[in-house]
Amino acid sequence: MKKLNSIYIIDDDPITVFGINKMLKTITTCRDITDFENGRLALEGLKQRIHQNLPCPEVIFLDINMPIMDGWEFLDELVSLDIKERIIINVITSSIDPIDYKRWNEFRLKCWHYLNFKNKPLYKIEATDLTRVHLAS
Amino acid sequence: MKTTKTLHHQYILKQLPTATALVGMDTVLISASDSWHAIFDTESKLAKPIHTYYSGHENITQNQLKKNLFESQEKTLRHKKLADGKEQWFNSSCSPWFDEDENQLGFIIQTKEITNLVAQEEELKRTTSHLKATAEIAKIGSWEYDLVTEELHWCEETKKIHQVEPDYKPTISEGINFYKQGYSRNRISMLFHKILENGSSYHEKLIIITNKGEERWVAAAGKAIRKNGEIIKIFGTFQDIHEQVMADKKIRESEQLLTTLIDNLPINVFVKDKDSRKILVNKAECEYLGTTPDTLLGKTDFDLYDKAVAQISRDEDLEVMRTLEPMLARETINVRKDGSSTNFLTSKIPILDLNGKSNGLIGMSMDITHIKQKEEQLHNLINVTAIQNKKLINFAHIVSHNLRSHTANFSMLLDFLIRETEEKEKQRIMKMLFHASDNLLDTLENLNEVVDISTNVNLDKKSLNLGENITKMQQNLSAFLEENQVEFENFIPDDLMVLSVPAYLESILLNLVTNAVKYRHPDRTPKVELRAIKQEKHLLFSVTDNGLGIDLERYGKKIFGMYKTFHNNKDARGLGLYIIKNQIEAMDGSISVNSEVDKGTTFNVYFNEKIE
Repeated sequence: MKKLNSIYIIDDDPITVFGINKMLKTITTCRDITDFENGRLALEGLKQRIHQNLPCPEVIFLDINMPIMDGWEFLDELVSLDIKERIIINVITSSIDPIDYKRWNEFRLKCWHYLNFKNKPLYKIEATDLTRVHLAS
Repeated sequence: MKTTKTLHHQYILKQLPTATALVGMDTVLISASDSWHAIFDTESKLAKPIHTYYSGHENITQNQLKKNLFESQEKTLRHKKLADGKEQWFNSSCSPWFDEDENQLGFIIQTKEITNLVAQEEELKRTTSHLKATAEIAKIGSWEYDLVTEELHWCEETKKIHQVEPDYKPTISEGINFYKQGYSRNRISMLFHKILENGSSYHEKLIIITNKGEERWVAAAGKAIRKNGEIIKIFGTFQDIHEQVMADKKIRESEQLLTTLIDNLPINVFVKDKDSRKILVNKAECEYLGTTPDTLLGKTDFDLYDKAVAQISRDEDLEVMRTLEPMLARETINVRKDGSSTNFLTSKIPILDLNGKSNGLIGMSMDITHIKQKEEQLHNLINVTAIQNKKLINFAHIVSHNLRSHTANFSMLLDFLIRETEEKEKQRIMKMLFHASDNLLDTLENLNEVVDISTNVNLDKKSLNLGENITKMQQNLSAFLEENQVEFENFIPDDLMVLSVPAYLESILLNLVTNAVKYRHPDRTPKVELRAIKQEKHLLFSVTDNGLGIDLERYGKKIFGMYKTFHNNKDARGLGLYIIKNQIEAMDGSISVNSEVDKGTTFNVYFNEKIE
């Protein structure tokens, strides 16, 4: 079992949130899993964490299509935040539009954090979705 | 007696006023008059052979003298001498001298000064040759008809024009028959008859058929010559003008061809002088301006077109004449005085004078109004198609995304269900499956609604009273409006009618008012203002609230998109604005939004007032 301190799930669909939570239970013992209905709420939560000097979540599951602030807008904001840790961000979408994949790749290249791309439906969360093997170390 | 008699003769001879000499059969001078001696400058009056007297004159040899004077038939001789540097011409004639018994005693020679005659002859010769040359060069022949002898005389040139032999002798009827049968012959017959009758001159261009059968144009002229009031002769000229007539004809034909061509070109052609006055216009140009060439000539564009348009045209003219560079196929717009405008493809080409300067131009304008209209229609069609295409792609994207997200949930939940052993958890998953199923049905219903609008081609637009529909909407929403204590300000005139599909108007009013209340500001009583203004082609209906407002810089592009919500509101489906935008556009209208965060929002709906 992988030990993680904190995980964010950002998705407006309660079924997906339920599913991710359920899958996480089988692979990690993390006790701090928070879900947000949209990017705006998640960003506020993250900023508060930084303000309180709490460590950032190690993994974020991020939906693209959300009201108020969607996944891309959230990533835009995240990039501009000064975060030392490298967060593993799993972009999860039901979209099979190549444009979404292109945008993801653009973010991947310019983003300090690790970005994964996962299409719905999800059946299982792999260990590689939660950690990054540091080949160099 | 005999001597006396001789002396007597001699004495008479001496005094004869006509220069006369008596010569014996041996051609020795016997006696001569003083006047004869004066001509030959003889000092001694001795009997000498006659030729010695002539030796002082030019070109006379003994043989010549003998031959001309005594042996030739004429028995005359012309001779000359130089006196004081001037030529004096003489004519000597010889006749035999007989006695009473008809025995020839010798010769009588008479000599006359003929200087004047010779000069006249010279002059005549020169004039004749001059005339002949002139006739040859100008191809002007002459003829003469003698009424007394009824003889017709043609000069050499006249014969040449008729292509007859130099020795041809014409009669009047032959002369007339040379004219081509028909008009030419009839005309000359009549003219000749008239000149004979009353002496009226003529000058006419007619056709003859020459001796060799060639048709040629001639200028025939006749003039009566009278003597004591009686017409005795007709004198006339005869000129070959075939080449000129043919050249003239050719020029006229070319001109005719050019005129026909210019006139019937389906484009407007005009020639302007340096002041941009029209000096030539074709039929198309006249028809375009609805007038005749006479009224157009001398006019400028300022007389014919709108002032601004005329100024542009004048500037073009000046530029073309200044630079000598033709203006080719430029798209121009002409606005006539009555305000109607036409699109043209115009070319202007400078006309150069001999000094290489331009004092005018040729203009050609092709009416491309209908092409322009087609182009515009095509452009509009492309725009419509592009918009529809975009909508379709957007819709396809929405459909695939929304349906996919639900099916993905089904898939995931079913996967959980299969592997789940715990009964309580199974129940939970089942509940979720039902939820997912409901969501899918909702989504399909929403999509159906949108498809309905987009595919409803036969829209039945009706003229509806806007005020009445607003009242109806307020009644339908009464519970919701009361609960939120909504304050209405209705500025809409009672009798204002709007053209819309009834169900769409209802939907538009419902959605806009509901939105205005839903996104109310937590610190303020919701206030909704309704306004409507008739515009040229539209009726503008606006709904203004004092609610949260929307950050348009951020969401402006998405506000009318499907499943887009921008506020943390539980009721938000992200469908209302998308649907009414589709409804409004289906009725050829449009919707726009103005907003300021924390101040409020105004939605402007433009109902299309055009009835198709």
